[in-house]
Amino acid sequence: MNPARLFFVLLLSLAANACSQHNDDVFHDQFFAFGTLIDLTLYGVEPAAARQASELIEQDFHNMHGSWHAWETSALTRLNTQLASGATVIADPSILPLIKEANRLSQLSSGLFNPVIGELISLWGFHDNPLPVGTVPDADRIRELVAQKPSATDITINGNRINSRNPAVRYDLGAFAKGYAIDRAIVRLRKLGISNAIVNAGGDLRAIGRHGERPWRIGIRHPRQPAILASIEIEGDTSVFTSGDYERFFEVDGIRQHHIIDPRSGYPADRTASVTVIYNNAATADAAATALFVAGPDEWPAIARDMGIKLVMLIDTEGVIHMNPAMQSRIQFEPGMDADVQLSEPLS
Amino acid sequence: MTRADKILLALVICALPFLYARLWFPDEQARYVRIQAGDDKPITAELSPDRTLQVHGPLGDSVIEIKESRARFLKSPCKGQQCVHSGWLEAAGELTACLPNRISIQLLGRHPRFDAINF
Repeated sequence: MNPARLFFVLLLSLAANACSQHNDDVFHDQFFAFGTLIDLTLYGVEPAAARQASELIEQDFHNMHGSWHAWETSALTRLNTQLASGATVIADPSILPLIKEANRLSQLSSGLFNPVIGELISLWGFHDNPLPVGTVPDADRIRELVAQKPSATDITINGNRINSRNPAVRYDLGAFAKGYAIDRAIVRLRKLGISNAIVNAGGDLRAIGRHGERPWRIGIRHPRQPAILASIEIEGDTSVFTSGDYERFFEVDGIRQHHIIDPRSGYPADRTASVTVIYNNAATADAAATALFVAGPDEWPAIARDMGIKLVMLIDTEGVIHMNPAMQSRIQFEPGMDADVQLSEPLS
Repeated sequence: MTRADKILLALVICALPFLYARLWFPDEQARYVRIQAGDDKPITAELSPDRTLQVHGPLGDSVIEIKESRARFLKSPCKGQQCVHSGWLEAAGELTACLPNRISIQLLGRHPRFDAINF
């Protein structure tokens, strides 16, 4: 081939490549499950296979929600009732692995992620839908529940038998089950041969593979403004989870009462606006985001180290952005959004 | 090389910067809004002309406002009103939902800047 023809073919290839970088290989589906909106993105999957995968994932989410619901009749509420009576409980296989992992993560977090404060969360009204308006629980009742110190360390598991030595233990896996469910969805997708996907449950997500020739691009929303704060490119297998005081809340006399309860005080953790955690496993990222939110701007690095978390961004209620150096080098702030950043010591 | 080859070559050379500019500077302009109500099949509506749409959910009707190629929850029968407070969606890929009324809206475009939004 003469040089002119070679150059010609090369140019045509470049043009064809540019034209081929489109979005038509992306499959999107959304459905309501787990009390939130599930957004499924698949890349490079045939439409019929993608549709079938989405239906299976949706059914899985509904099944898991049915088993793990913290206040409507479920395997979890039955477990709570039996544990409260002091009985040894044969755990339903649909919840045993979930309970074990929640207990493990709770202990790693020094109890700041506490999956057994269901009574306290119920007292605050976060088991109601819609949320109560204008009601802060009685202070004496809050003190009483905190004094009972329900903890994951009160639980003993032998095989499939569970015991509690504290009748105040009441599981509520709201700060963890969504991540665990996303992990299960990723397992399901991989079994179906799908290797490029995002499972996004109400803004918390795990992504595998990539978007064709490029990584997945994720925007992180500002906790106080209707705007994107920062973005991150991820590929391979990465979860991005944010816990924020804007997700479920009500206001009393202009003060926001949100759903992330500090188990030490019994009141909503009040120094943090949001925490973003990046980690491979979604369940751990979910629990860690809650634990670090409760830990607040002073304690979060110690808890992150204990939980093995390497990438954290915490925005406090004053608007200061706290993060570790590795996180700073991983994310890209939008113009003007990184005015007040405080770096921690490295986490590793 | 024939004359036709030369013309084609010239056209390709002229077009290449535009083709690649589209990749390097993605078109984030939202063109449509996708509205999902409960388990119904989602509907897709154009972002012009300006108008409001009533969407029925289990709590009643939510009102979606479309204005200047943006969309938002203008009214909703939920108590928390978080969907209304979340404001305008402006860029392709952005979404918000009224969870109590099981309605979500998402802006669509050919080349959204983000594949997903974390919040």
